[in-house]
Amino acid sequence: MRPVELNPPTKPSLLELARAWIVVSTQSIGGGPSTLFLMRQQMVERRHWLTHRQFLEDYALSKVSLGINLVALAGLIGSRVAGVRGTAISVVGLLVPAAAITLVLTVGYALVRDSELVRAALTGAGPAAAGMTAGIGLTFMRQTVRRGWRAGIDYGYAAAVVAAGLFLGATPLVVIATGVLVGAAFLRGETSRASGDPGT
Amino acid sequence: MSYIELFLIFLRAATFSVGGMAALPQLREDLVGTGLVTEPQILAALALGKLAPGPTGLYVVSLGYFAAGAAGALIAVAAAALPPLSLVAVAGIVRRHLLSGWAAGIVRGVVLSTSGLVIATSITLLAPGGAILGVPLWQLLLVLGAAGLAIHGKTHPGVVIVGGAIVGLVFGR
Repeated sequence: MRPVELNPPTKPSLLELARAWIVVSTQSIGGGPSTLFLMRQQMVERRHWLTHRQFLEDYALSKVSLGINLVALAGLIGSRVAGVRGTAISVVGLLVPAAAITLVLTVGYALVRDSELVRAALTGAGPAAAGMTAGIGLTFMRQTVRRGWRAGIDYGYAAAVVAAGLFLGATPLVVIATGVLVGAAFLRGETSRASGDPGT
Repeated sequence: MSYIELFLIFLRAATFSVGGMAALPQLREDLVGTGLVTEPQILAALALGKLAPGPTGLYVVSLGYFAAGAAGALIAVAAAALPPLSLVAVAGIVRRHLLSGWAAGIVRGVVLSTSGLVIATSITLLAPGGAILGVPLWQLLLVLGAAGLAIHGKTHPGVVIVGGAIVGLVFGR
């Protein structure tokens, strides 16, 4: 159980906000789950800029965001604690340091990619990355399907999408537009099961 | 291809996705289709994205670099930032409709669609042209093992990628 939140959140300066996001961006090794963990630790537990309840409200909202959910969460937190400038600093602070490290890794890879060792390593790292990507897709499905017999309908639709992607060469835009229509017509219902994995 | 066209490719993929990995099918279609990036480079980008810190989805930085150097990486990050920002602008409206049945249905339909496409794309990257029987058994086992670890969610992604690379060094030479 969470402790009762008696103290109101404090307001950071823009510099303090930027520092906190740089910590999240550079230390969140391990993708979405560790990024979310550090966001909560830095913003809620360590610096008290927002309450647990506010954090969870913004997290729930970010799950329906377009694109990278945790970037939306950063923007929502920034907006809550420091307005428009807070949003800008939070999104830049989350994205840019991690993107710079990714770029350095990529440039390093590009320098050595023709070596026999690197090519051999990629014959294993590539399938591992593909498997993890598919695993994330499956995890998202499990978090999204409804409870009870309706889960069968949801999984059936998802399996049809996999088949359409593999065998019919269905384009993403067509599939997503279909998802909007099918979802509004047939996939309504109770809230999906609680998620322990924040994903992306 | 101009930088503006490249920006629009990344922006469209991010806009029509929910979650960082969900942009992958559209990016593969656009970047491989135009010859800017190869399918092995997409696999490399996914692996590099798992090794780096930050939210899932920054593999687009590597894809941008492969497509157009450092400028491409910058373009990819900028494009990835914009769609999530749109939620901040309309947060008040979305909060009011988040719990309605039709909104939940639309979100569910889009997430199931993008998740299904992500799985199909992962299989296609491994076996271009659907030649799954041509994939060596050790690579298939790696895929299944990595998928299982991702679902389990307890193992660091970097450990899985490095483990895969070591297996590749043993069997892939």
